[in-house]
This record gives sequence, structure tokens and C-alpha cells, in this order.
Amino acid sequence: MDAEKLIYTIIALQPACRVKDQADRPAIEVAADNLPEIMETLRNDDRLSFDMLLDHTAIDHEPVAKFELVYNLYSTLHGHYLMVTCDIDRQTALAPTMSMIWSAAHWQEREIYDLFGIRYEGHPDLRRIFLEDDWQGHPLRKDYKDPDMLEFEK
Amino acid sequence: MTAIVRTLDDVLIAPAHPGRGATQEYFLNMGPQHPIAHGSLRIILLLDGETIRKVIPVPGYVHRGIEKMCEHLNYRQIIHLTDRMDYLSALMNNWAVARTVEKAAGIEINDRIETIRTIMAELQRIQSHALWWGVLGMDLGAFTAFLYSFRDREIIGEIFEEIIGARLTMNYIQPGGVMYDITPDFADKVKKILSYMKRMVEEYDTLLSGNVILQERLRGVGILTQSRAISLGCTGPVLRASGFAYDLRKVEPYGAYEKAQFDVVVGTTGDCWDRYYVRIEEMRQSIRIIEQLIDDIPAGPTMVTKFNTKIKLPPGRYYNHVETARGVLGVFIYSDGGEKPYRLHFRSPSFNNMWAITEIAPGWRIADMIAIQSSLDLVIPDIDR
Amino acid sequence: MGLVTDRLPGLLEPLPGGSILITSIDAIINWSRANSLWPLAFGTKCCAIEMLMATGAPHQDMARFGAEVARQTPRQADLMVIAGAIVKKMAPRMRLLYEQMAEPRYVIATGSCAISGGPFMYNSYTIVRGADEIVPVDVYVPGCPPRPEAFFWGLLTLQKMIKSGESIRHPGVRKKPVLAAMPQGITADDIKQQLRVLLEKENTIDIEHEANNRSWAQKVDQWTQKS
Repeated sequence: MDAEKLIYTIIALQPACRVKDQADRPAIEVAADNLPEIMETLRNDDRLSFDMLLDHTAIDHEPVAKFELVYNLYSTLHGHYLMVTCDIDRQTALAPTMSMIWSAAHWQEREIYDLFGIRYEGHPDLRRIFLEDDWQGHPLRKDYKDPDMLEFEK
Repeated sequence: MTAIVRTLDDVLIAPAHPGRGATQEYFLNMGPQHPIAHGSLRIILLLDGETIRKVIPVPGYVHRGIEKMCEHLNYRQIIHLTDRMDYLSALMNNWAVARTVEKAAGIEINDRIETIRTIMAELQRIQSHALWWGVLGMDLGAFTAFLYSFRDREIIGEIFEEIIGARLTMNYIQPGGVMYDITPDFADKVKKILSYMKRMVEEYDTLLSGNVILQERLRGVGILTQSRAISLGCTGPVLRASGFAYDLRKVEPYGAYEKAQFDVVVGTTGDCWDRYYVRIEEMRQSIRIIEQLIDDIPAGPTMVTKFNTKIKLPPGRYYNHVETARGVLGVFIYSDGGEKPYRLHFRSPSFNNMWAITEIAPGWRIADMIAIQSSLDLVIPDIDR
Repeated sequence: MGLVTDRLPGLLEPLPGGSILITSIDAIINWSRANSLWPLAFGTKCCAIEMLMATGAPHQDMARFGAEVARQTPRQADLMVIAGAIVKKMAPRMRLLYEQMAEPRYVIATGSCAISGGPFMYNSYTIVRGADEIVPVDVYVPGCPPRPEAFFWGLLTLQKMIKSGESIRHPGVRKKPVLAAMPQGITADDIKQQLRVLLEKENTIDIEHEANNRSWAQKVDQWTQKS
């Protein structure tokens, strides 16, 4: 399906999405409360069938005090891509887990927890993955200060 | 007086479970330093006798924080860090970032650059698969395979050294073109290498593929079904061996892949043997691609932008990917309009392929676990970034 | 016959019925130790491909120098080749591996990551800037990754060091100063200062003084005074 028809179909199914314009591929923006439901629909609906979660990452928008979760989905059946973004509050940093829908999310969410500190509700095994268990802080946040890290900007 | 004769089974069988040997589950640590680590990956096995019940990989022993470092570097400077992630397909890593930046900034590149990039990437793919083949042989006990494959690696490496100047960390494909132009006798040298490699791939087949020990160790071991592979996010030869033909070079052609005709190699059952043979066949397909492209490399400049221009991406989210020797390497850039990315994320193929081992390995023995891990072809710095 | 890097240490006296080798125990033990180093393959990253795998491969053969028996366990190795970046999670394990090696043990730090942190020196939150913060290093081989030939230069340097310095009576005492194992109270700047003074003293020439001190200068004086 091409980009416009895709977005049209998705919004027809789930009116709670909005189109995101600052992206180079079809993208929608979702609120965190509707996220699990919309993701289920994206995977199960026959015209969409996004069965592969290519990538899940997060962006730290420190000036506006929110995290943005980004999911890159791909459909092996139809061959189309979609980017789903979701804003969550930076203080509480709670998000629903997608590991029941796509198994790849299990470990990609562990990585986001390790580096950003976003906790996923319902995740079966939320532990740090790259850093030691007793590491203080979450390094990829913009306000992460570490005396051991030699900061250098040119 | 009677003498009671006992057997070993009598000693081992606990009275509560007649007829079953009493074993105890225990944890075994295959720590970051061990012979088949392929790097520094720690795997904790929950074993029952010699049968694996659970696999717990613990990555992070090479985690250097490349994504945080990229936020302090401009787009040209990121390229040298991508070499050090998956160093066996360093050129393809460079290409991933270069492609994303070019598409986002709207830089148009010409055919010569695309063809050179494609030929170099395919040569590196042959080199990477040759190393994987040798290390697989070494892991399974056939040390000779290692020596054969490194001999061939060096021969391909001579081309890289002549043109790029480096043997392993290339830093060659930049946004806007390639760093150095090819020499006039490039085509002849590559053709000689191709005819040599064709004979060598046949030799690889004769040496290992027909070996009955290898077939017994790989056939039917560690089956990964197609639906589980897709749900786990596996890509590359691991996914193709499970039966799904997802090859970015065919699905979304980039570079000069549209001009060349080649097949996508797909397996049937998804066991270790399929993952092994898919890569051997991919070597043959890579040779075929280079043969079709080597003769007519179009003329033109090798760098479209001036070398030290500052590249600024317009604000927004960009995602692009290439097919490396291990799978799909994706680059996600969120830019706020400056010279440096606000957030850069690498979707690494080995990270997503590694977790398949938690599903495949339970139920097999330790020796099978080694075969499974070798057949997944993981490069640990790519997992840890 | 492999590559011969030096002569047999000692004097070989042919006698009727055989020969006698006259040497010192130190010399012969150091010679045999240096020519059969067993590396511990501690490769974390890209340098492992070049330093550990490619050097054992046919094109660049480490067996020429006697070091092809690469063991994976530190109990059987005496040379630790650090090939790759060390991060904070790996550092205690590396120290453990070093302490499990039996003495005399040597360490070669190959690649810029093991020397100083390399390309990850700035802005990385987990990197350890140089393996010599954790283990004392004997030889540094620069490069990213170093060519196998550079690694062999480092290996030959280590062999030379062993033949001249390390002896069975003083295990752990090395004749070359290593920055990580300096005695108390001396810093790298002190050493640089001393070297600078020494260089200046050796290379400053006082022409008058030199001319007057030549052996023929007095002769010339005599001749000129004569006439």
C-alpha cells in the first residue's frame, strides 16, 4: 500500500492517531493510553499486518520535558513501513510494553530502560542490559553527568 | 549371607522417581573469555546434566556508548565510529549512515559512486562470509578451515589496502561519495580475485559441507521457524534460512543492485544447516553480482560535495537501512536542524539475531549450542555498540 | 627451520666426542622463554581479528616467532595480548585473568583502544582509557588496528626485553620504565624533564672548548707559535 492509502486506512480504523509530518516515511503519532490497542490493530488487521518490529528507540526532548518513543514497523506480507511515535512524560517515564505483540520488543525495551530509564509496565524481565546492575543514572539522557566521561566538543 | 549386586543406575536413581536418573539443574557460566566467544559475550546456561534448559545472554562487555558519542560529532565524523561496530562489514556500516544522511539532506549521487560502493560492499560480504566459515569450522573442531579462509581473506584484503588504505576499519564511504578513487587496473585485479574465489568456494564445499560430521552436527539442530524469526526481529541469513525471502537488496534496491541479476538464497527448515548453506550460496551470488558490475563502471567524480562541507539535516526523523553480511543495519536520526544529530540510533542486526538463541537452544546439548551460536554469526561489538 | 632472530646465547666449544655450551643460566632461560611465548587470546573487538586471528593465519605467520600456541585459558598462557577496547564492565574480569596467569607474565597492549582509549577517548561513559590503568603493560603497539607486521615488531621488542631484562631471580622487575608501574614520587613529567636536560647536554657544542680540546689543537698551536 502506498503512503497515503496507508495513513487513510489507519486513521479510519483508529481515529485516535494523528499524522506526524516531520518524518521521511509514513508516520503517525499516538497517545500513550491508546498505544497497546493501536499496536494490536496494526499487527492483526489484514490490510496492515505489521508483523515485524524493526526498531524501537527513544528520544529525550529535555527542553519540553518529554520522552518520545519511536517504533519502526514493517509488514512482511505487504511490504510497507510505518513509523509510530508516542510522547510520554519525562518525570514519570512509564510506558506500556509491546513484548506481548512482538517478541523483539522484549529486548529492545530493556535497552531503552537501561539507557533512558523509561520503565515499561507489564514487561516480564525489566533489567539493565548493557551496564552493570548497580550503575547510577541513565546515560543517554541529556542531563546525564559523569565525572569519568571526558566531554569534548569541537 | 547374600551379596547384593548394584548397578550405577541404582546409585543414581532417586527412590522418588523410579526409572529416571536423578540430575540436578545448575548454572554454567560461559564467561566473556572463552574459546567460542566471538568477542566478549557472556552466556549463562541453566543445565540439566548436559541438556540446556535456559539460556541467559549477558551482553555489555564491549559497550562503548557510540550512540552518545555520535551526538557530539558531525555527520562526517560519525563514519569512523561505524567501522568499529560490525568490523567485518565495515563498508556496509559506513554506507548505512552515508545513505541516511544523503537521503535526508537531499544529496544526489551519481552512478559511479553507486557502482563502486556496490562492488566494495559485495567484496566485503565475501570476505565476511569467508571468515564466518573459517570460524565455524574452528568452533566445530576443524581448525584447517580457519587457515583456508584467512588465506582468502588476505587476498581480498589486498584490494582494499590498495584502494582504501586500510585492512579492517575502512572509513571509506562518506555522505557525498567515496573517499578515494579506484585505480585504473581495479577491474583486472578484481576479475582475477573472482575467478580465484569461485574455485575457493567450491573448495569450501568440498572441505566442510560434504563432511559427514559437520552434517550430523548441523542438520536438524536448532530449528527457528519463520513466524518466530519474524516476531523476534531476525534479519539477514538467519531469516532467509527460515524460509522468508527478505533481502533489502531485492526488496528496496539501493546502490547498483538493480542493474545486477542475482538470486535471493532461501532455506527451507531453519536449522543450522540451512543457515550454513545460505551463506555459502550467498558468497556465490556476491561473486555473480560483482561480475556483472565490474566491467562497466561509469565515469564521473567520486565525491559529489566538496570534501569538508558542513552537512546540515533539516529537522525531522529519518530512518534508512542497508543489508550487511549479518542482517539489516538501520540508522535512525532525529535532527533538530544542526550539524550534529540530536539522537542517532543504530538498529543493529546482531542484537536482534542474538536473542533467537534463547528460543532455539533449550533442549539441545552444549555441543549443539556451540553449533547454533556459530551459525547465527554474531559480532559482539555490533550487539553492544 | 624457522626465522632465526638471534644466535644461541653462549659459547659453543667443540671437543672431541661432542661440544660444550658455556652460558649463564639466566641467558639460556631468558632465551628459551622469549622464543616460546604462549599468548592469551584476550580479544574484545576489531583488533582481535588482526592481532590474534590474522597473525596466526598463513599470510602472516606468528609461528615463525614461536608464539602460535594461543591458549584461551590464562593458566596456560604467559603473554596477554590485549586486543580491543576495555570497558568498565570488563575491567575486573581482565584483572582477574591477569592475576590468574603464572609469573613470569608479560602484557602487550595492541591498538589505540588498549593504549589510551582510542577513538572512544572522549564522550564515552564506559571506556577505560588504556589497559595500563588495570594491568602493567610491557609493550605498546600503536595503530587502529595495527598491521600484523607492527604487532610482530612489538613481539620482537618484547623478546629483546626478556632476553636482556627479566630474569629468574627478579621476577616482575623490568629494566624499562613502564608508566603504569613507576615507583612512588616520580611522575612522567619528571622523566621528560630529565630526558630533556640530558638531550640538551649531549647536543650542545661549545665550539671554542671543543676546538681547544682536540688532540691536534696543541700541535697546531706549536706550529703557529713556531712561525
